[in-house]
Amino acid sequence: MKPAKEIRVGNIIMVDDKPFIVLRSDVNGSSRTGFTYKWKMKNLLTNAPLENVFRGDDKFDVVVLDKKPVTYSYFADPLYVFMDEEYNQYEIEEENMGEAVNYLKDGMACEAVFYDGKAISVELPITIARQVVYTEPAVKGNTSGNVLKEAKIENAIEGKQFTIQVPLFVNQDDTIEIDTRTAEYKRVVRN
Amino acid sequence: MHNDQRSTTLTIFCKVVDNFGDIGICWRLARQLHHEHGIAVTLWVDDLASFRRIWPAVAVDAATQVVDGVRVIHWRDQDGAFVPDDVADIVIEFFGVDIPPGYIAAMAQREPRPVWINYEGLSAEAWVEGCHRLPSMHPRLKLTKHFFFPGFTDKTGGLLRERGLLDARDRFQADPAARAGFLGRLGVTQDAPAALKVSLFCYPHAPLAELFGAWRDGDRAVVCLVPQGVAREHVGDFLGADPVPGAAATRGNLTLRVIPFLSQDDYDRLLWSCDLNFVRGEDSWVRAQWAGRPFIWHIYPQDENLHHVKLRAFLQKYAANLDGLIDFSLRWNGAEGGGVDAPLWTSLQAELPAITERNVEWQTLMLANGDLVSNLLGFARSLR
Repeated sequence: MKPAKEIRVGNIIMVDDKPFIVLRSDVNGSSRTGFTYKWKMKNLLTNAPLENVFRGDDKFDVVVLDKKPVTYSYFADPLYVFMDEEYNQYEIEEENMGEAVNYLKDGMACEAVFYDGKAISVELPITIARQVVYTEPAVKGNTSGNVLKEAKIENAIEGKQFTIQVPLFVNQDDTIEIDTRTAEYKRVVRN
Repeated sequence: MHNDQRSTTLTIFCKVVDNFGDIGICWRLARQLHHEHGIAVTLWVDDLASFRRIWPAVAVDAATQVVDGVRVIHWRDQDGAFVPDDVADIVIEFFGVDIPPGYIAAMAQREPRPVWINYEGLSAEAWVEGCHRLPSMHPRLKLTKHFFFPGFTDKTGGLLRERGLLDARDRFQADPAARAGFLGRLGVTQDAPAALKVSLFCYPHAPLAELFGAWRDGDRAVVCLVPQGVAREHVGDFLGADPVPGAAATRGNLTLRVIPFLSQDDYDRLLWSCDLNFVRGEDSWVRAQWAGRPFIWHIYPQDENLHHVKLRAFLQKYAANLDGLIDFSLRWNGAEGGGVDAPLWTSLQAELPAITERNVEWQTLMLANGDLVSNLLGFARSLR
């Protein structure tokens, strides 16, 4: 059993004996009982989406599903196709991809998640490196990270270019590390 | 007058954390549900002593009692075996309290299932609208709880307000004899008719010594009425005596007077009688808004200063151009430095007429959202 505050996007939880994938989690303050967690979820058996809200200490069974290393291969709208070492292909529906679509890159290594023999979602490495394809010019002297600006990062999917917040000193074409759980900038990767 | 909800049953589970606010809200909720909507209400509460402070008819040693038409059960523990017939049509867990597991199990067995509502805290933060009325499926049982948020917009549950509240207030405020009689019963004499009359309800950490100093040295006489037990240490220091009802002292332009702790109805009358009200938590905060008099809110403190976010969200909605009120509120709550000094008080005092005008607009806006109990029952009906 895991409390809601420890459940991450991409986790599969059991609710009323049915598996749900958490597609999005918005954490809100400031109830007296702690934070409030608003989840967009999907019933993996019926594909029915729903939105629920939970207290941080509500407890859920998290389903540990089979996982297999795969690489991102291509997008066949609306399916994302991944391939394993034996060249088996697995198709994952766009609506099950969650935030992962923001970071896809050709040949990207990740883990396909299986439920009842079917690939139902993909989990990314916690930290990934991506090139900044556009941001306003860097501002010298700001190294504290307190002030942020927007930066578009490279992405394999046309029209899915994702923007994250970076410190002012980050340059276009820099490669940066990102925490995929929180979409937060971590550092510039210096070559 | 009762409507078609006469046969509906409703149970509220309340745990007292903030002394009087939790039971204060639940008791208003229970009374209004019963008296205005004819609902058979059961109130489970773990602290009958706090309950008695705001409603003296409560017996502190009774396991079960009927108070003003509401069945009150002393909630002692999480034990107990329940059957589906024990479960009400509507079950309210107040501020996310944990209902006894046996009661939840009985809820899951009941046909039809009860409407289960988590009544959340009042906040002006934007996210509240996005979570109001959302379901919360039980992880293991065939039960769905719904979150219900009081609030300041039509996308929330609105504010608690009894049907006759504003008429009663207007009648009282238009009747000087009634006001004088009420204050006289509290032991408040007409010692300074031209003085600014202030009620004081705050948490112990409020910067009271600074405020008392500003009032003492200010250019206008202030009579401050503080219920017994509130800010005991600061009040005792100022008085130089035990802060018991009737104790009073005048230093400079400040007269500080201790009054008895009041029942809910009398507390409303106190708010209606004063020129400025200092309130705390949620219940007295809402009552101050309906009183139509300027008020300063002392918000319940939370970890990581999350309460400052709530305070700023409210001030942004309520006090847009009232800089004196904003500055005073932020410093009173420690959200900004600088302390509660004489210039701050002078600015607030100068702004009191503008705040009073704003209250009129504010109440019009709040009235348009309907009253919380009617909104809650409408939502419950939509779920059945």
